[in-house]
Amino acid sequence: MSQKFISKLTRYLVIIVFLSWVLIPVLWMVTLAFKSYPEWRVAYFFPKEPTFMNFILIFEPKQIVGMMGATALVDPVTLPFINSLLVVGTSTVLSVMIGFFTAYGASRYNSPGPFSLFFTLLTRMLPPATFVTPIMVYYSNLKLLDSHLGLVMLYSAVTVTYGIWILKGFIDQVPIEWEQAALLEGASHLRVVFRVTLPIVKSGLVVSGLFIFLLNWAELLFALVLTNVQAVTLPVHISKYVGAVGQLYGPQAALGILSSLIPVIIGYLIQKHLVTAFTFGMVR
Amino acid sequence: MPAARYNPMSEKVEGKISRRRFITASIGAGVIGIIVGAAGAWLLKPEVVAEKTVTTTLTREVTKTVTATAPITVTPPPVGIDMVAQRAIDGVKNLIAKGAAKPGDTIRILHVAGSRANLEKAIELWSKYIPEIKIELITLGQEPDVYTKAMSEAVTKAGTFDAVTIFSTWLGDIIEAGLARPIDDFFSKYDPGYTGDIAPIEPLASYTTLYKGRRYALVFDSDVFTLSYRRDLLVDPKLKDQFRSQYGMELKLPDTWEELVKMAEFFTKLNLTAPSGGRVWGAYFYAEPRFAAYITWLNIFIESGGILFDLKTMDPKIDTREGRYAFDVMLRLKPYMPPEAITASWADLYDKFVKGETVFTAAWPSLSKEAHRPTALVKDAAGSAVLPGVEVDVAGAKKIVRAAPNPVNWVAVISNYAKNPELTYLFFQFATSPDIGKDVILTGVILDLFRRCWFTDPKYRPAFEEGYGSEFVDAYLKSLEISFPDLLIRGGPEYLGKLTVNVNAVMAGTKDPEDALSETAADWDSINKKYGVDAQLEAWRALANLFPSDVKEVWRAKGYM
Amino acid sequence: MRNSPPKIITYLANLPLNLLLYATLIIPFALMIYLAFLAWNPAAGINWWEAPFTGVNNFIRAFLDSRFLAALGRTTAFVVIVVTIEFFLGLALAYFMLEEFKGKKISLSLIIYPLMLPWVVVALIFYLFFQDYGPMNNVFLKLIIGESAQNIHWFLSSTTAFISLIIADVWQWTPFIFLVMYSGLSAVSKRLIEAAQVLGASSRTIFWRIQLPLIKPLILIAIVLRALEAFKVFDIAYVMTGGGPGTSTETISLYIYRVAIEYHDISYAAALSLIVLVILVIIIRAFIWYSFERGVKR
Repeated sequence: MSQKFISKLTRYLVIIVFLSWVLIPVLWMVTLAFKSYPEWRVAYFFPKEPTFMNFILIFEPKQIVGMMGATALVDPVTLPFINSLLVVGTSTVLSVMIGFFTAYGASRYNSPGPFSLFFTLLTRMLPPATFVTPIMVYYSNLKLLDSHLGLVMLYSAVTVTYGIWILKGFIDQVPIEWEQAALLEGASHLRVVFRVTLPIVKSGLVVSGLFIFLLNWAELLFALVLTNVQAVTLPVHISKYVGAVGQLYGPQAALGILSSLIPVIIGYLIQKHLVTAFTFGMVR
Repeated sequence: MPAARYNPMSEKVEGKISRRRFITASIGAGVIGIIVGAAGAWLLKPEVVAEKTVTTTLTREVTKTVTATAPITVTPPPVGIDMVAQRAIDGVKNLIAKGAAKPGDTIRILHVAGSRANLEKAIELWSKYIPEIKIELITLGQEPDVYTKAMSEAVTKAGTFDAVTIFSTWLGDIIEAGLARPIDDFFSKYDPGYTGDIAPIEPLASYTTLYKGRRYALVFDSDVFTLSYRRDLLVDPKLKDQFRSQYGMELKLPDTWEELVKMAEFFTKLNLTAPSGGRVWGAYFYAEPRFAAYITWLNIFIESGGILFDLKTMDPKIDTREGRYAFDVMLRLKPYMPPEAITASWADLYDKFVKGETVFTAAWPSLSKEAHRPTALVKDAAGSAVLPGVEVDVAGAKKIVRAAPNPVNWVAVISNYAKNPELTYLFFQFATSPDIGKDVILTGVILDLFRRCWFTDPKYRPAFEEGYGSEFVDAYLKSLEISFPDLLIRGGPEYLGKLTVNVNAVMAGTKDPEDALSETAADWDSINKKYGVDAQLEAWRALANLFPSDVKEVWRAKGYM
Repeated sequence: MRNSPPKIITYLANLPLNLLLYATLIIPFALMIYLAFLAWNPAAGINWWEAPFTGVNNFIRAFLDSRFLAALGRTTAFVVIVVTIEFFLGLALAYFMLEEFKGKKISLSLIIYPLMLPWVVVALIFYLFFQDYGPMNNVFLKLIIGESAQNIHWFLSSTTAFISLIIADVWQWTPFIFLVMYSGLSAVSKRLIEAAQVLGASSRTIFWRIQLPLIKPLILIAIVLRALEAFKVFDIAYVMTGGGPGTSTETISLYIYRVAIEYHDISYAAALSLIVLVILVIIIRAFIWYSFERGVKR
């Protein structure tokens, strides 16, 4: 009885401690979003003179001289927000889909083989700074600069690795007997994949989808170089908030909150899919 | 159990992928990569741009490309617009009339977010006179982004933009990469007002726009450092008495860095409280590693009579007495500066001064603008002066040499791949003219004044006094006249970047000044060799000639020049 | 195991992937390899297809470049420390989150929140946090060690600057490991767990002896992927310390960024990247082999 209580207590303790650790910087960001320039570099959390200016600013860029040491006129956040949603959403779906099929082939049939799989890890090993010039040259020749398609292609290619490797880990766990059983009953192989394997690794799809989404949602360097006006994404937009007094921390914090809303909503909605329920029995 | 484990077959096969096969595959991939890369390189080169309009390297002879044209007939200016702007407007109308430009044409400008307000003002005024030509702004947040995009454009030649506003520091790189179009021809044809009373102040006008003797840019801004200080602390009689009794000299604006060190020590030790509630530090001068540490060092170095490279051999001459002296002063200032001077980004200097937490500091003109805002805590106490100098022996006589650094400084450059370079140039002539330029500069925050008439002509001066404060305007004019350029030869950012990192290391205490100087000199040597010592020497000689006369005098006295 | 997969599977498993990778990445990647063997940078005034071939000069230069080697060693140390901490923290957290309890949904959303923030914002939060005027010294450390907290200048000494980066990274990325572990652990068949419970195993035994070994491949993947990302750490180094003091917190990504973009020495940067790539490939390969061999032996 008390054993259970202790373990329950430890659990709550651990989680509360960890949550505090997580939430302190978050609180800092949130309070920062309500602070004006004189209060950005301080030690206290809650602003003595809270203001909504940062939030207004990101939707309605106008010169606010005197309030926060002046700011730069940038475009409203709506276009970058939509661009990000579009580009990141599409590349996530692509990466996960392609990742799933590749992982399936790799897990069951070694096709693609371990060497090719390993090769996909290369895409994650490169420091992006050097890749920027070659891809700029490549895209400018293909007229893909400042295009949504160009970004989607790049993001998918660069994050498909996550999809492959995480999903392979999940698919490896699905007993192959289950598929074989379904095949024996006459289902086509593709059907088996969709009806048997896919539902079981749902949590894998969700996890890898979430990560791929987060990685691309935050991606800055390539978006900076490959976009100009039309395909500008949210991180690029955030980086523009620089004025005469340096980086505008207040508006950037406000943008941080705004930017995190989408992943948070997604994360909350998919929570129950993170856990797989093995509902049907496994007979040995 | 095994069924739920991971497929044992793939494990075994994995193990069997022998090392040999892996290595051969990797080498094969590498070789194929090189071949495909070379093939891709050959296939991916952009269409060859007509050679006539592109000057690639500048080691070719400079042929005069000034086209002698009949002077433009200037219609009498409407009220409220100066001749420079009027010539620009007329020029555009001429182009349209000749068919060289069409209504609806767009000029694309790449620039940094900070100057957006300024450019939007310029566009607003432009559309009053020439609504048929549109301007499109490509805005990027940080300076390195603009630099990257500009250099990428130099490589891809894609015509993404027609003009770009760059730091003068990047001039060498941008020009040598073939992106910047020489504009001597446009200068002759349209006269942007670089002579007489309306001219941008020399030597700044020359050293920010000329490279190896040719004109490549229009001045769009000035960035000379001035000394900002807390006037209220300097005039306080009690403090004056205290200082006099402790140090045996008057508390006043320091003439030399030696004096400033003493005053900084005095104020720091007093441990006063600033209007913000924080403590007051005697000094705050840049020493941070991201970019600005070189400014302080360079300031003292040049004032001591140091020269960056030998004018005959291009050997770096920083590992010298002057270089060591600069470190000596900075290290002596260190205890009287907040640690942020060494670790925080450049904006923290602004924050501290605006809050009244620094007595002596130096930064760009925008610091004075910020300090004069109604919300600034130091508002009524912010003063501006010329930076202190160094006492140097010049031909037997002791003289205090003052020189003000001009780090970065925005200039407008026309791209070689612009659709209509002449039209693009005319926009900038318009935007930097005495009348229009005044509005452009006063609207925003990161562009600062540079034409003499703006300082001296009663038609213009009041507006600037209101924005910056009158003490600043006087101090700034003097500072401009004794200002010296960033190292803007090719590789400028690299030279200065390596210097900055080492200056910061010395200030943080992780490196000896001796080692820092010799290592930087060695680094600079390899940069010289990378680009070709002769080419660099040519650019350096041209640049050294544009340094202020006081500095050149010392160089001559020391035999450097 | 079937040896010959049905055609459709082969197509689906290979074609889309290859199409994507080859159309997007191969040519730039090959171009990068090619550039590494040239002596070119944009300010040289010549086009890159005209630049002279210099063979392995860039690579030799890299091995003599002390700043590069230091950055490499430093980043490796960073990765080892950071991934270890994150792994144990993430795993522990996953363990505790496995069962249902009140407020679990909210806790889960909050735990993974750090992953949802733009990296520049995370970097600026910690930049402001660790400054002398920030809350780290003036609020938190003050509670623990009193006034002497004012004497700690986080970014002024190499050690503390390094630690501040570690703290920022652990804060940001522990949720990644947690999430992978959590979804993997909860995917373990309930039947197995129930069977073990029937046989009298305690929940701790179940965790260590059944669940963990089953998700071993997932653990491996999580560690490898996290390590690869950690190796590329850039934003926090750039914003928080700027690589300082001096270059003592200059990570390899930051150094290559400077070489490529500030010094625009693109060929050299390409060579450096390739070296980093090769090193990572070797290390990851060795790591995977090591883990497999141990598994097979058992």
